[in-house]
Amino acid sequence: MADYEQILERLYTHLRPMAPADTILDEDTDLVSGLGLDSVNVMDLLLEIEEDFDISVPLNVLADIRTLSDLAHSIARLVEKG
Amino acid sequence: MRGLAQRSESLDKGKRKVPELITTATPTINIHPLRCADFATLAQALDYAAQGVTGYNFYDGRGKLSAVLSDAELRRRALATAKRLHGLGLRRGERVALIAETSPEFMEFFYACQYGGFVPVPLPITINLGSRESYIERLRRLLYSCAPAAAMAPAEFLAFLQEAANGIDGLRKVASPEEFYALDEPAVQLDPSGPDDIAYLQYTSGSTRFPRGVVITQKAVMANLAGIVGPGLGVRSGDRCVSWLPFYHDMGLVGFVLGPLASQLSVDYLGTRDFAMRPRQWLSLLSNNQGTIAFSPPFGYDICARRVHQTEISRYDLSSWRVAGVGAETVYAETLERFADFLAPAGFSRRAFLPCYGLAESSLAVSFAALDQGILVDHVDRRALEGHMRASVIAPEPGRGERVSAFVNCGRPLPGHEVIVRDDDGKPLPYRHVGVVSVKGPSLMSGYFRDAVSTHVALGRDGWLNTGDLGYLTEAGLFITGRCKDLIIVNGRNIWPQDMERLAEEQPEVRVGDVTAFVATHPQGGEVVVMLVQCRLTEDTRRADLVSRLQRMIYGEFGINCRIELVPPKTLPRTSSGKLSRAEARRRFVQCVGWDRPNEEAIADAPKAVASG
Repeated sequence: MADYEQILERLYTHLRPMAPADTILDEDTDLVSGLGLDSVNVMDLLLEIEEDFDISVPLNVLADIRTLSDLAHSIARLVEKG
Repeated sequence: MRGLAQRSESLDKGKRKVPELITTATPTINIHPLRCADFATLAQALDYAAQGVTGYNFYDGRGKLSAVLSDAELRRRALATAKRLHGLGLRRGERVALIAETSPEFMEFFYACQYGGFVPVPLPITINLGSRESYIERLRRLLYSCAPAAAMAPAEFLAFLQEAANGIDGLRKVASPEEFYALDEPAVQLDPSGPDDIAYLQYTSGSTRFPRGVVITQKAVMANLAGIVGPGLGVRSGDRCVSWLPFYHDMGLVGFVLGPLASQLSVDYLGTRDFAMRPRQWLSLLSNNQGTIAFSPPFGYDICARRVHQTEISRYDLSSWRVAGVGAETVYAETLERFADFLAPAGFSRRAFLPCYGLAESSLAVSFAALDQGILVDHVDRRALEGHMRASVIAPEPGRGERVSAFVNCGRPLPGHEVIVRDDDGKPLPYRHVGVVSVKGPSLMSGYFRDAVSTHVALGRDGWLNTGDLGYLTEAGLFITGRCKDLIIVNGRNIWPQDMERLAEEQPEVRVGDVTAFVATHPQGGEVVVMLVQCRLTEDTRRADLVSRLQRMIYGEFGINCRIELVPPKTLPRTSSGKLSRAEARRRFVQCVGWDRPNEEAIADAPKAVASG
C-alpha cells in the first residue's frame, strides 16, 4: 500500500530528529556522508523502519544503500514482498 | 534466516513431510553424563554430543525461534555434506571458506570439514550502508590469503562472495548451501581430522589490509576448550548458553559454537545485527530460557545499559545468569558497574561478571578470573606507570582521579598454560612491572597461515607467544594495560592512548569507540601526539568548542599538547574483529597531512601543537 513517495515522506519523519538541524533532506541525501549517521544511528533508523513498515531489512540489502532514494526503493520492495 | 523446517523439507524430499512449525528449542538438561571437552578432536566431540538431546537454537530479531539444530541432526547433516565436498574432489587439508552467518548452515559446513578432513575458514559479514565495494575487497583479500578449494555463502550473501572469488585460483565451487545440497553424495569412507590436523583458520587479528590466518590444530582447540568449560566456566548440568557474538570472531566461534558442543550444552543464538538493533532480546532470551552463560565485550553491556528501558527490567528474571563473561577489549569497571546496577532489580548478580583475557593466537582463552567473584580492580599510580612502567598501588581517594589508573583483573592462566611479562630483551619481569604479556601452552596456534615472517615475530624461537599486549602480574593474576605498539611515549613518559581516548569519550558529543590517539613523527623533527575524533557536529562554533575543550583537558590531565582532528563518522580504521587500529589510523593520518613526503609544500605549515613534556 505504501508507494515510493509515501515511504519517502515517512523516512523524512524518521530522519529529521537524527539529522543536523540545518540539513536539507531530499532523495539524493547521502545517509552516511550527508547526514553523518554512525553505526548506532543506522541501527536506530533500521529499528524504526522495521517497526513502522512491519518488515525485516536483510543485512545484504544495506550494502547497496547510499542515499535516501536507495533506502526508499529498498523498503518499497521489501513491503511488496511482505 | 531461514528455518530448519524449510530445509528439512527439501532434504527429506520424497520422505514424510516435516511439519513447518517449529515450537520448541532443544532442552537444557541432557540424557547423558556431561563430559567437559575431554575429546581428541571436534569430530569426536560431536559424535558424543549427537547421542544426547542438546543443540543449537536460532532466534530472529523479534525473539521468535526461527530454527533448531540438535547436535544429532547436525551430525547427520555434517556427514552428508562432508561426502558432497569429497565428491567435488577436495583433498585432505584443503580450505573451505564459509561466510559465517549465525545460521544452522554454517554449523553444518564447519563440522562437515571436521568429518571430511578439510579446514573450515569462517569469513566475516561486515556490511554497512553502501559498503558493497569495501566488503567485497575485504573478502577478496581473505580468499587470497586462505586459498580455499570451495566457498559457501548463504544465498543472500552469495553475490558478494562470487564477486570476491573472481580470479582466485583453485576454487572449485562457490555456492549457496542449496547448491551444495544438489551435489552427489559419494559413498566415501570419511576420515575425520585427527588431533594433529588443522581444526580451522581464524582471521581475527591483523588489519583488514593484511589479514593473518591463525592456524589452530585439533589438539590446540581441544586443550583450550577443556580449559574453558572446565576450570574457566565450571560448566555443569543445567547450564545453558545465550550468544549474539558473530561466528567469525574467536569468542563467538570457539566460545559459543565449539565450547557448548564440546560440553553438550544447548545454545540460544541471536544474530549480531539483531542484537545491535534490539539489545533487549539478549536479556529476554537469557530470562525466558533461564540462560546461565553469556559473554560480551564491554560495549555489549554498555548498549544494554543505555538502550534498554528502565520500565522493561521488571519483566526479566536474570537470576540464573551465573557467568557474565567479559573480554575482547579493555575492560572498564564503570561500564560493568552501571550494567549491574541497572539490572539488579531483575536479579542480575554483579558477582556473575567474569573478566578474561585471550586472543585467537591462543585459540581463544588465556586466563579467567575466579568464578563468582565479580570485577576486581587494581588502582595504580599513573605517574609510576608512565615514568617507570611500574604498577604501584595507590588508594583511589577523592581528588586523586588524575593520578590513578584502574585495571581489571583478568585472572590466572588456564591449567597447563603459563603467562609471563617480559621486558624488551625478553627477560621475565617481577610482579607489578609492566611489560609484554607472553603466553605458553597447549592452546597456541601453529602459526599464521603461509606467513612465516609474522609467525616468527609472534612465536619466536622459544615457543612463547608474544601477544603484543602490555600488562603486569600480581598475586591476584594478570592485568592488561594496553597494546604494546600503541603506547605513546613523550619525552620518556609512557602514556596509554586508552586513557586519552577515554577522556574524550566522556564528552557528551563523543561516543565510545569514536576516538583514537597515537604518536606520529613530524618530518621537521619531534613527535606529535594526535587524536582523531569521529564527530557528527556540523556547526563550526561547536566543533571549535569541542577541540579546544579536549586540548585543555588533555593538557590538564597528561601535560602534553595534542593535535586534535575531527573526522567524519565511520572513518576510523578497524581490524577485522572491529577493534580500532591505531597503527592504521597513524599511517593514514601521516599520509593525509603529507608527513611521509618531507619535501613537499604540504608540510610548510608546522603542526599546530607539538608534544611537550
